[in-house]
Amino acid sequence: MLRIQNVEVIYSDVILVLKGVGLEVPANRIVALLGANGAGKTTTLKAISGVLRTELGEVTDGSIEFEGTRIDGMNPEEIVRLGVVQVMEGRRLFEHLTVEENLLVGAYLRKDKEGILRDLEKAHGYFPRLKDLGRRTSGYLSGGERQMLVMGRALMADPKTMLLDEPSMGLSPIMVKEIFRVIQTINEQEGVSILLVEQNARIALGISERAYVMENGRIVLDGPSEKLIENADIKEFYLGLSDKGKRRSYRDVKHYRRRKRWLG
Amino acid sequence: MNELVQLIVLGLMEGGLYAMVAAAIVLVFKSTHVVSLAHGQLMAFGALAFWFVLVKLDMPVPVAVILALAFSAMLGWTTERFAMRPLIGQPLFAAFLTTFAVFLMMDGIFQLMLKGESVSFAAHLPKGNVMMMGVSLPITQLVSFGSCLVLFLGLALFFRYTKVGLGMRATAEDHQLAQSTGITVRSIFSHIWVLSAVVATIGGVSLANVMDIYYPLPYLGIKGLIVALVGGLESLTGALLAGLLLGILENVSAGYLDPVVGGGVKEVAAYVLLLLVLLIKPYGLLGLVRIERI
Repeated sequence: MLRIQNVEVIYSDVILVLKGVGLEVPANRIVALLGANGAGKTTTLKAISGVLRTELGEVTDGSIEFEGTRIDGMNPEEIVRLGVVQVMEGRRLFEHLTVEENLLVGAYLRKDKEGILRDLEKAHGYFPRLKDLGRRTSGYLSGGERQMLVMGRALMADPKTMLLDEPSMGLSPIMVKEIFRVIQTINEQEGVSILLVEQNARIALGISERAYVMENGRIVLDGPSEKLIENADIKEFYLGLSDKGKRRSYRDVKHYRRRKRWLG
Repeated sequence: MNELVQLIVLGLMEGGLYAMVAAAIVLVFKSTHVVSLAHGQLMAFGALAFWFVLVKLDMPVPVAVILALAFSAMLGWTTERFAMRPLIGQPLFAAFLTTFAVFLMMDGIFQLMLKGESVSFAAHLPKGNVMMMGVSLPITQLVSFGSCLVLFLGLALFFRYTKVGLGMRATAEDHQLAQSTGITVRSIFSHIWVLSAVVATIGGVSLANVMDIYYPLPYLGIKGLIVALVGGLESLTGALLAGLLLGILENVSAGYLDPVVGGGVKEVAAYVLLLLVLLIKPYGLLGLVRIERI
């Protein structure tokens, strides 16, 4: 169980990005985190994984707990050791390393050689393409292959919770479907809980059990995903549908602004 | 013809020495993105430690090698811990200037210890020449060149096959990403300074074997920097290539041009090479070409 309570994040001592965010990711569950650009979704993930500090960000209030241990203030590598792994936005790879070396870097903290080999097999099982590409310099992979590789790399750390930041970004619809199928399988077969940040609200609500919606550094809505998908505001702002289920024009901007103010 | 071969072979051997010093600088730059001037001193102090154990304490050669390497490892660790680590997250230029400060400080200590004299341990090592393919080679040079090749091979294997080596390569590419995959970047920096100090010492001992320990020795670190720049700052192979190239160039040009212009060509050759290479290939011979998919 990953529990975030009332977290406040300040960048460079002045910029208040998160204004009291609270959410929970129970074990073995998929939880989605939705929101517009700049709402603070990525910052939330970085606060959890601890890489915030390399960007001069700081958790100034609230607490982040993983399985009862407070992890805010820990170094990123300690948090990875506990089993919380972030897959960063933009599918960042070690471009000059081969595909297989990238996977092995994912297991850097582990000492059990057999376990690492087993998980390498496992990663190859989820993403057979990675096995074929093993010796290829990873900088030349396509977008879909990159997404497979960063997820495979996260799996190599033998995680209990994965933080996925926009896995669907810039991928073809077929590839998006494939990636989300694998996310679901990983959740079911490995018992890995997943906190999923997405712009593609429809698919994120489709596979998650619970979802949170962020605006301006706050959680403004949360609930079971099947309820949220029926929520009028979600329909309107994230799925582009009006109350009656018809498509709706954004020419009606004033209305949109008004609603958004109410939300924030 | 025979003279040319002799010049080339001697140049090759000398180039190996430059390559080792350059390798130390490349190691640090690759991982931490800091261009280090301090390695000239790390190299000189390593050579001094070797001399101290071998000549002053009169210990056998293997003991001297081990103690000198241990001492330089400590020196590298100390430099990282107290001079470089407080600057993590600060502009790289600050770190660069700090390495210069370290250079100057250690230079003072170095001069104080030597008091303007020169010391040498060559007398305690095997001497003589061997003839190979009609060229007469000093044994000391051969040993130095051999250790250079072994060193580079060792480094290549280390980076290719060990876990720490993989961690270092990953860190070299992206600090934040490395951290998020569980690599302790700070400890990698520390390891890399220790490793590079050891490499610098091997280079320093080999150099001192050829040229004695006196005040200009640390300044050969600057030459190491030139070699590293020519090779492309991020490539060990580049350092080796550029080192050998410079060695040959220096010797051959000095051999043929010195009688004409009256000497000094050797001192200039390195800078001419640097200028030419950077004009044609700004990233150096084997500098990192960014991977960009179009």
